[in-house]
Amino acid sequence: MTAAPTKRPPFLRARRIGEIALHAFTQLVRMKVFYFLVVFAAILLASNLIELPQHAGPESVGAGILRSIKSWSLGTMTLFSVVLGITATALLLPKDVEDRTLYTILAKPVPRLDYLTGKLLGVLLLIFLSLALMDGLMTATLQWRTTMVLDHQTQVALSQGWPPEETAALRAEILAQGPTWSLQGAVLAVFFRAVVMAAIALLLSTFSTSTLFTVIVSFLIYFIGHFQADALEFARHAGEAGQSTAARTFAGAIGLILPNFQIFNVIDAVIQGTPMAPALLGKLAALSGYYFILYLFSSWFVFAKKEF
Amino acid sequence: MTAPPAVEIRQLVKEFRTSFRREPLRAVDDVSITIQPGEIYGLIGPNGSGKSTTMKALLGLIAPTSGHCAIFGKDSLKVDSRDDVGFLPENPYFYKHLTGAETLRFYGKLCGLSGKTLRDRVGELLALVDLESARDRRIGGYSKGMLQRIGLAQALVQEPRLVILDEPTAGVDPIGSRQIRDLILKLGERGITVFLCSHLLEQVQEVCDRVGIIFRGKLVKEGALEELIAIEDQTEIILRDASAELLAEIEMLAARHGARWLHAGKPRTTLERLFLRETLGDDR
Repeated sequence: MTAAPTKRPPFLRARRIGEIALHAFTQLVRMKVFYFLVVFAAILLASNLIELPQHAGPESVGAGILRSIKSWSLGTMTLFSVVLGITATALLLPKDVEDRTLYTILAKPVPRLDYLTGKLLGVLLLIFLSLALMDGLMTATLQWRTTMVLDHQTQVALSQGWPPEETAALRAEILAQGPTWSLQGAVLAVFFRAVVMAAIALLLSTFSTSTLFTVIVSFLIYFIGHFQADALEFARHAGEAGQSTAARTFAGAIGLILPNFQIFNVIDAVIQGTPMAPALLGKLAALSGYYFILYLFSSWFVFAKKEF
Repeated sequence: MTAPPAVEIRQLVKEFRTSFRREPLRAVDDVSITIQPGEIYGLIGPNGSGKSTTMKALLGLIAPTSGHCAIFGKDSLKVDSRDDVGFLPENPYFYKHLTGAETLRFYGKLCGLSGKTLRDRVGELLALVDLESARDRRIGGYSKGMLQRIGLAQALVQEPRLVILDEPTAGVDPIGSRQIRDLILKLGERGITVFLCSHLLEQVQEVCDRVGIIFRGKLVKEGALEELIAIEDQTEIILRDASAELLAEIEMLAARHGARWLHAGKPRTTLERLFLRETLGDDR
């Protein structure tokens, strides 16, 4: 047999994490989660037929379809990414314990932090690729429909003798409803939200005794996260109204520990055609990064002491 | 400087909390075991006697309540103690979606192997455990014996100096069991230290140099196998083609020297040997 390596190769830790991530990704892919893309394609097709209610004049005909495509697509992406982020993460860890494959992995020179990071990154890789595929489908459909709407509206404007500047404004308005960089930013925001949810599910699964508990509590946190901003607001007002310091501290702590999912609702504005400022996307990325690290290290803290 | 022992378990105690207010359950009680490099050590005991808990403590999967475990001088609770150890858990279930070769590649990569070294190692190990023909079959379709053998191969992937086997032949048929036993003997010939636990006493007897008997968490007996099982005041002579007259003469000779004749008869083979001879023609 060839000799065992005496020196650790460079970047061993990163390679090991990458290997665990790739393995978790393969494991999930072979669970046939990509079948969801068929559902997405069907929803996308259906969204082409539904025009959202609008109160504008005939010049806006067709823009509703574009908004419908964006709304349904981003809604489905959110649903898919959050559900997958929670359930896949909640499933992977207990499954390894139950099947005793965890013993064989931790009996190798694999630090527990590397194992957790790898598993989480595997789930995130799957979500990222799925979102990229869905984004590709959405963008292509949107591009096709935008061209159709644009041609139709330009013809209407010309036949009605609109001045060139008004025609140009109409075209700009329609293009804003089409595939834009802001829309790509919205897809990234969907991904960031899934990152936070997957990290929360990971933390819960390190001490939970059942996958069902992890899933339910994760969804509960997701729900509470949409009221986190209200908690912070309460803290501020409590201060002004001279209420107890304990209440303010408690509300503040909730704000630090639980993510505010309301800020991810910028997606709604993008659906309406409002551009997303790059700084806002940066803020979302930074917040997601903060919660990712917070929950990952908290998971490690629990998992490092866990006995198998 | 003398080389550190392959395994050093010193006064290991492991207690598990049961329910609130109840006394903790002491699964391992003051167990000390030292295994020198190259030895094949068997820890035997009934189910629930603390064998697996001892192994898990040695691998750092659980933390001792008190006492200390080390592998080649490195504290078991440190990750680097696992550089030189391979582990096969009892009834392992590997990732069913991977093939045999993919499984070994996965574990090899975890140990830092890559490229040609890894490819060669995977080929060698599949040949060693006689699974070359099943290398591209998914683990989900493996039989129990094949699972144990691929498990043994993954334990050996980084060519560790110590291999820990928890009930390596549990649930395996006699042929598979014999293959695993032969593999353990091969490891011993290569100088690899083996620490195995089992409640199949005959198999432990066949492969181990030293054994320890654990019962209710305590190590009740330990020593070289030959010393432990030899009956000091008796002698065994096995003859081929001995006539009845010769046997009568030996009996008289023994009586003249004050020895008591206890038994003469045909030695028996074991049921396992009979089974293997009839099915595989294996006459060992």
